[in-house]
Amino acid sequence: MNWTKLLFYTFILGLIVAGAFFYRWVLANLIYATVFYYILDPFVSWFERRRFPRWAAVLSIYLIIIGVVAWFTSRFIPDLVQQGNYLFDFFTSGEQLSSEYIVSLPFVHGIYDFLANLDSQIPGLALAPKMLELLDSANTFLATIPKLLMDNYQNILSTLSVIATIPLLSFFMLKDKYKLRKAAMELSKNRYFELCIILLRKVDSTVGTFLRAMLFEVIVVGIMASIAFSIVGVKNPVLIGATAGVANIIPYFGPFMGGALAALSVLIDGGPLIMVIYAALAMYIVQVLDNNIIYPVVVGGTINMHPLLVLITVIAGGWYGGILWMLISVPLVYILYSLTKVLYINLRDFRII
Amino acid sequence: MQQYIDWFKSILRKPDKYAHLKRFSLFKDLNSFELYLLNNHLHTRNYKAGEVLFEPGYPLEAIYLIEKGEIEIIGPSHPSGHSILKKNQFLGLMDMFHENIRSSKATALCDVQVLAVSQADLKELIDKNPRMGVKILLAVCSSFSNYIFHLANPGDSKQ
Repeated sequence: MNWTKLLFYTFILGLIVAGAFFYRWVLANLIYATVFYYILDPFVSWFERRRFPRWAAVLSIYLIIIGVVAWFTSRFIPDLVQQGNYLFDFFTSGEQLSSEYIVSLPFVHGIYDFLANLDSQIPGLALAPKMLELLDSANTFLATIPKLLMDNYQNILSTLSVIATIPLLSFFMLKDKYKLRKAAMELSKNRYFELCIILLRKVDSTVGTFLRAMLFEVIVVGIMASIAFSIVGVKNPVLIGATAGVANIIPYFGPFMGGALAALSVLIDGGPLIMVIYAALAMYIVQVLDNNIIYPVVVGGTINMHPLLVLITVIAGGWYGGILWMLISVPLVYILYSLTKVLYINLRDFRII
Repeated sequence: MQQYIDWFKSILRKPDKYAHLKRFSLFKDLNSFELYLLNNHLHTRNYKAGEVLFEPGYPLEAIYLIEKGEIEIIGPSHPSGHSILKKNQFLGLMDMFHENIRSSKATALCDVQVLAVSQADLKELIDKNPRMGVKILLAVCSSFSNYIFHLANPGDSKQ
């Protein structure tokens, strides 16, 4: 390689690094927009095949989404807000969640009595008062949530601006899909051209299929959980069902989260212990339906990883970055794994390595 | 008013700017909208004289349509062991219906410009647009038929 080439490549590398540094704040927006793009692309293509120009196809889909969101808002949001407010008041009002109130709950009362009994037998242990102190301090923290929301209004506004930017970014990604692809392909050398096409198709099929399948599963599990919880009489079934639907994405742990939330809601509400069992049973039935019908039909085949590897990946994701990384770690690892596999096979077949 | 309607129609109407693709026998029967759909999947590539496009054993991913220049093909599916393909001809189609692996070697004889389409994209276009698919497949049959006659009577038929 001569010096001119070396200098040019160094310059390009410098530009890429500077560009990555400059655009680092919008990287998350781009990732969200890409997710949006992959979910909507089949619908845009459907409209396109019916002779809609791509820009009109994207706008039509946006209008349909706005319509569905508006309908959903008018139909379900009042319920969700009411249920959310109920939980919010519950957590933040000192009266309802005072230690005395919690201790009066049937299930907790048993634990308190047990600790008080221990205290009476072992002088100086004082576990029961400590439990009351702990409950009071938790209550004090929960009561500060509204203040936290007020103090962080700037963060909330920036989150809202992110939400507003994503459809705009994905509009251009969807409209200029083929132009962007052609431009990306032009960067590849002739030697690697067919390899790049294969990789691009693999990314498309893996990411697109997985994301669409997951979205479908979230919606179906959310609806089924809401119905199941309302049948067994859990309070706030829509809110808890929707949360269970989203949490369900996390393999192994997700279903427990949904069930635990329902059980917690029953306990806080002072319901009988049998209701907790009913709530758990409802979530179990939803899980059986999900695992045996929805997942194999919709998501099955999109991810082909050994359960042990899935479990380890979820735990590692949780340690690395909490719930968000628990959500994305499995698909991310799977995409990287399948891409590396395809890359290796094709590098060998094209006799590049 | 009419001029506004015409202006609006002109925005909606896809200009027939892909008519040049009809010179490839595979796509000669496609209408302007079908050519627009096809064009979305075409990539322009340039090869220098002597550059190898592919070798036997490579996975088959792209079908090449020659826009400019000449390409030499060396492989068992050619009667004399090799042939030279020119402007408006295509390469890779036979292998696409065979084992999805290249059976021959293609080398640019001079500076060449080709349009490349992924075989997966082409199959998807055929699958999702049946009318368009029938036209392409009929053209493929016609091309194969010509090729067989050419093999039987080398001096008698066009390829």
